[in-house]
Amino acid sequence: MQVFATYTRAAVVPLVTLALVLASWQAVTVSGLFRPDQFPTMTATLQALGTALGTEALWSAVGATLQGWAIGLLLATVLAVVIGSALAANDVAFRSAASVIELFKAIPAIAILPLVILVLGSTLDMKVFLVAFGAFWPLVIQVVYGVRSIDPTVRDTARVLGVGGVRRFLTVTIPSASPYMATGLRIASASALILSVVAELVGGAEGIGRAILFARNAGVTSYPTMYAYILVSGLLGIVLTGAFFLVEKRAMHWHESQRNAKDNELGAR
Amino acid sequence: MTTATTGSTAAGRDGGSPGSASAGGAGVGDAVAVAVTDVPSTQVTATPGRRAAGRRNRGRNLLLALWLPVVLLVGWWFLSANSTSPYFPPLQVILQSVWDEWVIGDAKTQLWPSLRHLALGFIGGSLLGVLGGALLWRLPVLRKGTNPIVYFLYVLPAPALLPAMIALFGLGEARQVALIAFGATWPALLNTLDGMRGIDQVKFDTARAMKFSSLRTVTAVVLPGASPQIAAGLRASLQVSIILMVVSEMIAASEGIGYFILYAQTVFAIVTMWSGIVVLSVLGTLLNYLFVFAEHRLLGWYHGSRAVGTDKA
Repeated sequence: MQVFATYTRAAVVPLVTLALVLASWQAVTVSGLFRPDQFPTMTATLQALGTALGTEALWSAVGATLQGWAIGLLLATVLAVVIGSALAANDVAFRSAASVIELFKAIPAIAILPLVILVLGSTLDMKVFLVAFGAFWPLVIQVVYGVRSIDPTVRDTARVLGVGGVRRFLTVTIPSASPYMATGLRIASASALILSVVAELVGGAEGIGRAILFARNAGVTSYPTMYAYILVSGLLGIVLTGAFFLVEKRAMHWHESQRNAKDNELGAR
Repeated sequence: MTTATTGSTAAGRDGGSPGSASAGGAGVGDAVAVAVTDVPSTQVTATPGRRAAGRRNRGRNLLLALWLPVVLLVGWWFLSANSTSPYFPPLQVILQSVWDEWVIGDAKTQLWPSLRHLALGFIGGSLLGVLGGALLWRLPVLRKGTNPIVYFLYVLPAPALLPAMIALFGLGEARQVALIAFGATWPALLNTLDGMRGIDQVKFDTARAMKFSSLRTVTAVVLPGASPQIAAGLRASLQVSIILMVVSEMIAASEGIGYFILYAQTVFAIVTMWSGIVVLSVLGTLLNYLFVFAEHRLLGWYHGSRAVGTDKA
């Protein structure tokens, strides 16, 4: 019972706050503080959201955004794991490449967007390239640090037992580096979503970003739809980040950092 | 990696990075505590002691760090020299255009509006984020209540808000500053909150036992304890701010470096577009390094203590 009460209370406070926020949204729009061509009412927006959720247009836009996000991120991950592990294996190679990687990581990926649009057009390829370019540099750094953080005892044990080549890569190197890669992937996933939306807004590729812009261009009557689409893009962010969070918890349960997290959580209760 | 010594020469470099990445996520129960802490990989901490060897190593490391960028640049120069592709003009032509447009010409006037929006938005958003994070730290009820909403606003891809910002603030500067400030707020807020929550409770008990005033507690316990993570949050905020600065100039704008690049692209002035890309890349890189430099000056004590720690281990 005690536990049940705690959980109820934990859910009530956020719900009350959410209700308050929604109510004040309605208040500032109905009272005329914001005009309908600035900020539509909460009820109109939620209604538009309900309608939009039933349309194919929304789901194909969401699908297109997810497609660009997923392919770009996958491409960046594969490249980062291969190149990162290779660099980490050799001190000279690592030190030589580090400055170049840092430099490219510091360059805002969006700088090359007009060039990419020019060469690839308003296509999925354009979006994928931008996402992969933006996600690759932070990921490859994480892979390098992850592989280099491998416990020397584990490494030497693997060598003594004659575990080598692909098998060592899959059973020793990758698991050792995985906590770093998980952190890198979480950061890369967020920036991949941002870059997907940018590629759609500026580059005109199909997706939720373009849908938002089209709704704005369609005039004041479709503003509730525009805000509904923005809410959808936020929900997309929640789903993607949440999924990574859960996968990380599941897949990394054996790792020290997660074990500590669990202990701390238990201790805090 | 066949000898044991390679590990120790690298210790100064990777020493700092592992902890911050996982420590951000570990040990915090709330769902909001998504570690936005980027790994501070640009930090090269010098190992104390062993000066002569250190100097020799530093010279070797500097050479190792420099040769590849130089080779790449030279390679780009010669490989593109006879390029006839309309998209990839010779590097010499691009650099000439950078000189003509940005150093001699008027293009540099595009930089001031961009930098002004960036400065206003980043500083405003960071201040809001740090103050908001501190407020949520002090008021657990508010923190629990706003948790889902803060989380939603943090993961919302900020560029998606640009059309809404145009509707809210019109086409003027206000919507650009507002968008940048919005994006800069959340990484700063969540990292501030996380950093302050991570401070050891014993330190507060000690401060109370020593009858510290609240102001002194803030300056002697809270700020030093949370500042490394606040700095990590601010760096994430800066990166988001730069993206938003450019995006807001690429849609329905009439000035700024983003506008300059996209306009050059639409009129097929490819070399001019390249010059803008080069300048924007240099600008973004400079701002990032400037931030890291300032962070090292201000938080030198922290990185110093960490480097000593890793040296022992």
